[in-house]
Amino acid sequence: MLFLHSLQDFLHYDFLLYAIVGTLFLSITCGLISPLLIARKNAFMGSAISHSTLLGLAIALSLFSAESSLAIFSTTLGITIICTLFLAFSTYRQKLPSDSLIGIFYTSTMALGIIIHSLFAKTKTDLLSFLFGNILLLTKEDLILSAVLLLVTLPLIIIPFKKWLFLTYDEEGAITSGVNAKFFHYLFFILLALLIVTSIKLAGTILIETLLLVPGFFALKFSKNVKQAFIMSVLFSTFFALLGIILANSYGLPSGATLAVTLFVALVLSLFLKKIYTFVRK
Amino acid sequence: MGHTILRAEKICFSYNGEAPTLKDISFSLHAGESLGVLGPNGGGKSTLMKIIAGLLSADSGDLFFDDKNLKDYQNYPYEKFSYVPQNSELNTILPVKVSEYMEFAKSLYKNISSTEVDELLELVGILHKKDSLISKLSGGEKQRVLLARALINRPKLLLLDEPTKGLDSNGQDQLLGIIEKIKSRDKTAVMIVDHNINQIIRNCHKILCLNRTYHWHDHRDLLTKNILEDVYHCEFEHLLIHENDLQNNTENSHSDHLYCNHDHDKTPDPHNLLRRKK
Repeated sequence: MLFLHSLQDFLHYDFLLYAIVGTLFLSITCGLISPLLIARKNAFMGSAISHSTLLGLAIALSLFSAESSLAIFSTTLGITIICTLFLAFSTYRQKLPSDSLIGIFYTSTMALGIIIHSLFAKTKTDLLSFLFGNILLLTKEDLILSAVLLLVTLPLIIIPFKKWLFLTYDEEGAITSGVNAKFFHYLFFILLALLIVTSIKLAGTILIETLLLVPGFFALKFSKNVKQAFIMSVLFSTFFALLGIILANSYGLPSGATLAVTLFVALVLSLFLKKIYTFVRK
Repeated sequence: MGHTILRAEKICFSYNGEAPTLKDISFSLHAGESLGVLGPNGGGKSTLMKIIAGLLSADSGDLFFDDKNLKDYQNYPYEKFSYVPQNSELNTILPVKVSEYMEFAKSLYKNISSTEVDELLELVGILHKKDSLISKLSGGEKQRVLLARALINRPKLLLLDEPTKGLDSNGQDQLLGIIEKIKSRDKTAVMIVDHNINQIIRNCHKILCLNRTYHWHDHRDLLTKNILEDVYHCEFEHLLIHENDLQNNTENSHSDHLYCNHDHDKTPDPHNLLRRKK
């Protein structure tokens, strides 16, 4: 009953409607990027970008009031893209493991962000809302930004889809066939930065990682071919992210955390069921 | 003899300013010819291949594709050649089918039909595995798929980096047979890096022996035991042991290998290292 009541809430309250539509847009985009992120072995890079958004956010909150949604978004995005480009530049076709550099970079930018926020923030907005997400903060502008992001990301992934896959599967083969690996390397990280910054309010800078990793992990574990992997990832991401948001509203739980836990539980359950199925078939 | 497809003049390369990996390497390759590159591990064979393929830039020296200096090309002439890296370089996370992989490559070129792709798969004897996942194929089958992908743009030059690695002698023969068929069918020039001395000598017109700053390049008939000993810094008898291991695909486990005291992987300056016994 509580669950059904909660569903009705989404039609009655604007901010909840924004949350559900925003989640739909973001989960489709995350579902599409997730298998690429995992297959390209860039999971840690995603983590670094999401953590470095805090620096951008702290600077944005020092310059503008928390209500100026668009100004905060653009400033955070600008600074995050600069950090991302630095990371992309440092990691392009490097044989040396770049995880230490990424690790140093993201903890430092995060620490700097916290100091800037404590010294200069115009209003001492609760940073936890940005770390772990809060659907109450979602505005109509955020929704428009999510939609724009989806409209930008979809063609950039789908039109050169085979090039993305060729590069991911056989990088040297693709480069020597004329695919511009450098362009795609930078494009991928810029898309990732866009996606992460847009989803700050919904899932938070830390918990967005779940939305970026779990669908792809699930899909690559269960799919029989590449096309299936991407379809499964988008479906998994969309279904369980929406379920997470509905559950969060039903039980008054924090949106980002509920979303992350829902995806995680779905993944663990599916892996468990797969084990049982394999065991029974034997 | 056909026209010169590839010419290298005094190619030098070092990784991050360290001791030179390649120094003054020169050779040429004509249409329909094959060049086998031999040498110990770490001798710069794959590095040279990557320089030609445009994956690394030489510190100095000139490369000519179709008698035109690389410096005179506006973009890197990827259309002139195809490069087949070692199959271990493939991403193991994505579940890619043979047909999907061929589609990736096909999407880069216009006017290539699905029938032509099937013909290529047929040529390398892998058409029946079209719908299989590449990760489920054997080493030899994977190499054939990589070869089919490389042939999709009908290259004038085929660069193959250790195509027989991990294959048993039967698989090696089959693969080299296919390469021979392609060579005679399309007059494709082939450059092969391989550890298998016998196979290379049997299948290639020219040999490039390479060990970092030392190299020898000429027709296979002029290759002597002494040249091989010089390049490998190892007595010929030891080379035969390696050869035997490679034929049996047991290089890491063969006990005879233990009697070879020479470090084939680390030869920073070959001229200061041991010479063969007189």
